[in-house]
Amino acid sequence: MKEREQPAQETGDKWEVQLRKGCLELAILAALWDGRRYGLEILRRLESDSDLIVSEGTVYPLLTRLKALGLVRSEWVESDAGHPRKYYALTAAGKRRAVEMAAIWARFSSSMSKLLAPLVKENR
Amino acid sequence: MTIADDAQRKDDAQQKIEVYLGRLRGQLRGANDAEVREIVDELRSHIVDKVAASGENDAEITAARVDAALAALGSPEELASQYMTDTLLARAEASRSPVQVLRSLFRWGSLSVAGFFVLLGSILGYFFGVVFILVALLKPFHPHTAGVWVLPNGAGDSEISFRLGFANVPLDGKDVLGWWIVPVGWMAGFGLVMLTTHVALWFVRQYRRSLALP
Repeated sequence: MKEREQPAQETGDKWEVQLRKGCLELAILAALWDGRRYGLEILRRLESDSDLIVSEGTVYPLLTRLKALGLVRSEWVESDAGHPRKYYALTAAGKRRAVEMAAIWARFSSSMSKLLAPLVKENR
Repeated sequence: MTIADDAQRKDDAQQKIEVYLGRLRGQLRGANDAEVREIVDELRSHIVDKVAASGENDAEITAARVDAALAALGSPEELASQYMTDTLLARAEASRSPVQVLRSLFRWGSLSVAGFFVLLGSILGYFFGVVFILVALLKPFHPHTAGVWVLPNGAGDSEISFRLGFANVPLDGKDVLGWWIVPVGWMAGFGLVMLTTHVALWFVRQYRRSLALP
């Protein structure tokens, strides 16, 4: 019986992973909304303000990708810690994209919440 | 503990960081030097910050703290493959040029078995696309020899031969398309190149999705 449950469990985990991954881009853009931040700051922001538990290694390639897409720009800034840090900031295109994505997210999540309300009650 | 011991331990910890970054650098082959330096510098800065933050009240770099910081980043191989596919796909999608797609696939092919097969398939697709286009291009210059020919071979079977027209054709061969090769060749050629680009990008996208967040 236990073996039969295994695949369903795996599919569920995979789904959650995909869901988180899909949100990560928007989450990073959102973390940069009020100003420039470096990688570790973005990670801490994601950990504290959302329960997006993110593997640290995932954020850096994604930041590089967002930069390649022109949504963020980066600059090296000397720090008190004695070594430079790479700061990221939203570009104009990145701000537009973040606003667009946030609007889509808001619509999507409110309609999903309505649909899921009975299921969530069940779980309590 | 003496100052010398302390310095030694610090060196060991630094060493660990450089070994990790060296492995990452090795996996990022194919990316240009500036890109690699940027990636490595950023991660070094992350590791140093992370290690310093993990101390209670000192910023001492110890081997155990370095190990923890490196483990949180994931293996260099995993990290490199995320960089490669993320960055490369973004670039390939932005340009959609077969050259960029092939360059991306060459790097992906060097990173994973799946990538290798997609690379192989794409080379085949592009190769036949280019052959079709070349034959169509050369038909007006070699009207009697260029084209798609069916040639009987010794064993009683026949084979299809794409001929650019530089060599003579055996007398018993048959030019199956004649002048139709010009429109057909252009269409089939460009069609194949576009199809190959599409399919290759589809595979890269699937692969990116399969890279699960641990």
